[in-house]
Amino acid sequence: MACGGAYVTGDGRAQLGQPAEDGQPAAVTLPAAAARIRSFSFHGDAVEALRDVQLAVLPGTLTAVLGGSGSGKTTLGKLIAGWLRGGHSGVLRGSLALGADRLEFHGGSGDPRINPAAWSGRVGYVPQDAAAMLSSVRSTVAEELAFGLENRGVPRLEMIRQVARIAEQTGLSGLLERDPAELSGGELRRLAVACAAIADPEVLVLDEPLASLDADGASQLRTLVDRLLDAGTAVVLLSQTADALARSAGHWIVLNGGTVTAEGPPAELGNGAALRDAGVVAEGLPAGTPGDLPLAAASTPVLELRGIGFGYGSGETRGARSARGPAGVVPPVALLRDLDLTVRPGEIVAITGPNGTGKSTLLRHFNGLLRPQAGEVRVEGGGIDRIPTGRIAASVGMLFQQPRDQLFERTVLREVGFGLRRLAGAEAAAGRAQEALAAVGLSDAAQAHPAELPSSRQRLLALATVLARRPAVIALDEPTVGLDRHGLERLQHAIAAAAARGAGVVLVTHDLAYARANAQRILALDGGSLREI
Amino acid sequence: MRLHPLTALTAACCAAVMTTAAGSWPLSVAVALAAVLLAARTGVAARVLLAAGVILAPLFLSLLVLHGLFFPEGHTVLAQWGPARVTAEGLGFALELASRTAACVLLLLLFSFTVSVPDLLTALAARRIPPQFSFVLAATLTLVPAMAERLEKIRQAQEARGLVVGRGLLSRLAAARLQAVPLVLGLVEDAGLRAQALDARGFGTTGPRTSYRQLQDPPAQRIFRATALLLAAAAVVLRLSTAWPAAVPT
Repeated sequence: MACGGAYVTGDGRAQLGQPAEDGQPAAVTLPAAAARIRSFSFHGDAVEALRDVQLAVLPGTLTAVLGGSGSGKTTLGKLIAGWLRGGHSGVLRGSLALGADRLEFHGGSGDPRINPAAWSGRVGYVPQDAAAMLSSVRSTVAEELAFGLENRGVPRLEMIRQVARIAEQTGLSGLLERDPAELSGGELRRLAVACAAIADPEVLVLDEPLASLDADGASQLRTLVDRLLDAGTAVVLLSQTADALARSAGHWIVLNGGTVTAEGPPAELGNGAALRDAGVVAEGLPAGTPGDLPLAAASTPVLELRGIGFGYGSGETRGARSARGPAGVVPPVALLRDLDLTVRPGEIVAITGPNGTGKSTLLRHFNGLLRPQAGEVRVEGGGIDRIPTGRIAASVGMLFQQPRDQLFERTVLREVGFGLRRLAGAEAAAGRAQEALAAVGLSDAAQAHPAELPSSRQRLLALATVLARRPAVIALDEPTVGLDRHGLERLQHAIAAAAARGAGVVLVTHDLAYARANAQRILALDGGSLREI
Repeated sequence: MRLHPLTALTAACCAAVMTTAAGSWPLSVAVALAAVLLAARTGVAARVLLAAGVILAPLFLSLLVLHGLFFPEGHTVLAQWGPARVTAEGLGFALELASRTAACVLLLLLFSFTVSVPDLLTALAARRIPPQFSFVLAATLTLVPAMAERLEKIRQAQEARGLVVGRGLLSRLAAARLQAVPLVLGLVEDAGLRAQALDARGFGTTGPRTSYRQLQDPPAQRIFRATALLLAAAAVVLRLSTAWPAAVPT
């Protein structure tokens, strides 16, 4: 193994790696990576993002770092992988070790400076937003895979060999000539892992690798993780869900508020208090109370879709480009065919189906963001043809997959209050805004800037903007993604309360277990139309 | 035959230089028309014309006001309002400048809308242009479509919250402000994460690089590029030697 100096830039001040004890070659038991973080704080932040966190991972093992949103998982993962660096991104006190090479950080100017390019050859990191991993200037999957090798000056023949090898390992062999921008969510995640793994790192950190993947995507990713483990890679999983992948880990570390609150084998920690307090979602989410809600079967439907037909690229152009669904693939045939749906007041309906089947497309028909090529949409008994989306929004509230896109005000309170005065009158508006914030647990953040909230709270804020308007129909697109246990509970209560007041709720999710626990009716979008399951 | 990106770039630049050097409005108009024709054949006419319109409309207007109305050397007065006089010479000069600029702008837009960005990057990398420079160039060429897609998403998300964009200018401006906030914040956040990813993938390293993608550069295209460059240089020299003495006031 090369000496630590190769992973550190700067002059002689840098404290380089120390040789293994007794000059012996690295023993089998030597951790592939170890971190002892006494504290880490971002520049300009008074609060420590991490304190007293220790982690050591052995080759060929899976370690899960579990915690709710804002617990410091991502910060820890990025520190280990050199995406965040002491001195560069913040003040780090503690040590980082790769095999026998160890770097000490005292939070001063004499600290070693990590060279991210060299460091990533030994520790790879795959961000939750897999698309961010890509260079964005390469036109095929093969070229994207080769990008890191090109930068390191690997000869072309060797690159071709390595690209073929990693593609084989990650199941991308059939996709090498595809445009990375047109991959499905699962394929994109595997490409991002492959981009990190092509440098053959000893440690691979995966940040929420299963988020928003359907069952197929998740199982392919699991296979990939198993292969990496078999090849001797130490894999660190960052997750806020104790799912099957996390349960297959040998060791759990539970983070809460930037520090370790529990650690040990999964069997010991189980579904204990530490996990619950940290906001970790246990698989098989806490069941809601959909069965207790009165079902007003006789009343007029709040939403009715009759014989809806829709496909991209055949007449309908408005908004079609960006509404292609997460995969971004334009399907050659009709996505929705002769689709019927009736939602009554107080009803909670879940729509499930694999990625790319048109769930989001269907949802966008509720408020006229997309107009059907055949059939009719009726909201509260009236047809919405020719009514602009902005007006339909008074009756149909919609939460999007990317909550950030919906937010634009200076404070959280103003955000929720936007347009409320016109809708509810000046007196009622203030009360409704406060009420909606309380419902999602954001009362304490009323004066914060929306952009400064972590993404999970941005999602809750976007939900509050929908709730405050008290629409007759609430449509939620993958509302659970990125929410930890606390967030999910808020979401559940908010949905139940909205249904109790008589709103019809339609939620789209790839998570069948969540749908079972929280909806009265579950419909699968299959072959362009809905069927009960 | 597929054009090497440098061939296309050389052709566009040399044609622009020669048109400028020739300084004859019929030629400028012919070159502009040729660029539009080529754009139509490659299917980018709508985008090229739209972008050219955005760039050229204010320019044409200012040329018309500056030279059409206030051309000091003009003596064939066609109309007069106080100090403003429309002269034939002024209009001629404005036409001259406008057609020349239009030709150059159309040529360069045609290039930027038809070039394959990955090919261009490969070509630049092969000529040891710093990859950071190439990346900024590529990001600029792909920024507009990426931003348009993102704005569309934001518009949908906001309309779903009850934002009604009216037909009036004020209403549109207000909507644009609300859309700009998430757009800019989103771009900044993405840029930060992308920078970390690029660092980790060795983009910041200074050593030698290799290229996975390979480009065909047939000898005929090399000869064409050399010839075009020579012709452009000749045109400039010719222009300077004939026009310069006359242009310098004595």
